[in-house]
Amino acid sequence: MYEKFKKHITYYFFLLLILLSGLTLTFLASPRLVLQTLIVFVTVVFYIILGISHHFINHDLTVKIMVEYVLIGLFGISIVFFMIMGGII
Amino acid sequence: MINFLCHLFLPRASNNYRSYLLHFKVIASLVFVFFSLGLLTPFLTTSFPSVLGVSSDITSQQLVVLTNEKRQENGDLPLVLNDGLSQAAANKATDMFNKNYWAHNAPDGTTPWVFIKAAGYNYTYAGENLARGYNNASDVVNAWMASPEHRQNMLSPNYQNVGFSIETGNLGGENTVLVVEMLGSTNLAQEPSGGSVNKEVVVPAAAIPSSPAASVVTTPALTPTPVLAQSRSVSGAKAFLVSAASQKAPLINSKSFSLLVVNFTLFLFIFILVLDMIVIEKKKIVRFVGHNLDHVLFLSLILFVILIIFRGTII
Repeated sequence: MYEKFKKHITYYFFLLLILLSGLTLTFLASPRLVLQTLIVFVTVVFYIILGISHHFINHDLTVKIMVEYVLIGLFGISIVFFMIMGGII
Repeated sequence: MINFLCHLFLPRASNNYRSYLLHFKVIASLVFVFFSLGLLTPFLTTSFPSVLGVSSDITSQQLVVLTNEKRQENGDLPLVLNDGLSQAAANKATDMFNKNYWAHNAPDGTTPWVFIKAAGYNYTYAGENLARGYNNASDVVNAWMASPEHRQNMLSPNYQNVGFSIETGNLGGENTVLVVEMLGSTNLAQEPSGGSVNKEVVVPAAAIPSSPAASVVTTPALTPTPVLAQSRSVSGAKAFLVSAASQKAPLINSKSFSLLVVNFTLFLFIFILVLDMIVIEKKKIVRFVGHNLDHVLFLSLILFVILIIFRGTII
């Protein structure tokens, strides 16, 4: 597991950069809910693009992997959507 | 049963070496369920407010007890709950909901002191703390204590009385719980002759950039006059509850419910992804799927984002 992480260290660096930037911006945008939602959406899009690009560069990209990243991204968005609509609005 | 759970959680031949809960159809179903619930909940909260809605467990009594605990730890005299200040706090909360603002001063320039005077409280010193989006009293008090300006207000020896209002309503399109704390003292003995002059007004600085800058007006401090504990305990013995407690709370608090469902789902998926990753690594199974670690990091981000969005704010 560690070797896998080490092998893809550049990828994980950019992944963490995207995720931490998203988190920081969401924090800074508080309590502007619309802006926070937009930041989460953009972060998810970057997450999907980065994941797919990484597998493309590594020559192991399949339709299944693409669908997986999109679904996980949508899963994240659906959870935030539910929270905002169900818990706040 | 154990076989079924293993099928759900562990990668093995029966689930094509991918935990069944991580299969596309399961995730796609969850996406559909969460989007549907998100669309359905606002309808349920408006159609059945007695069943599902925003509520709060915060009461004025809890807030005054917690505030006084902090003051006593700091060596200050306890504050007494005052009807006039509670009325002023209630009017301020109503004004914020009616005019749709989240600031110390209203968009039309109305300051907090207008509400205090209107409630018949002739103050020498006055202050205001605001909080929104909190579910319990200790979180509100802890948030105020963590902010230097609010802390200063709460622990100031210049104040003798306090009034709270806890109101639920819609602010900027968001159903939320507002907590207004009005602090004050009416030390008439220290006033100059003919003085109905307000000596000091301190409002904490606004914590969010969108809020108008809070006013800070100070005049030379007056010589403190000892206040008899006896007079304090008598004057404010009765709590003035203009709070959420007087409103009928819904059966299910939509905020707590949503938070519970989401936290459970996220923790479950993070757990399954980690478990799946460990088992595959140990068994040295080769498969073409995305990195589980990516998804763990991503779902952790969502978890943190939700905690950020749902934390309360103070000004």
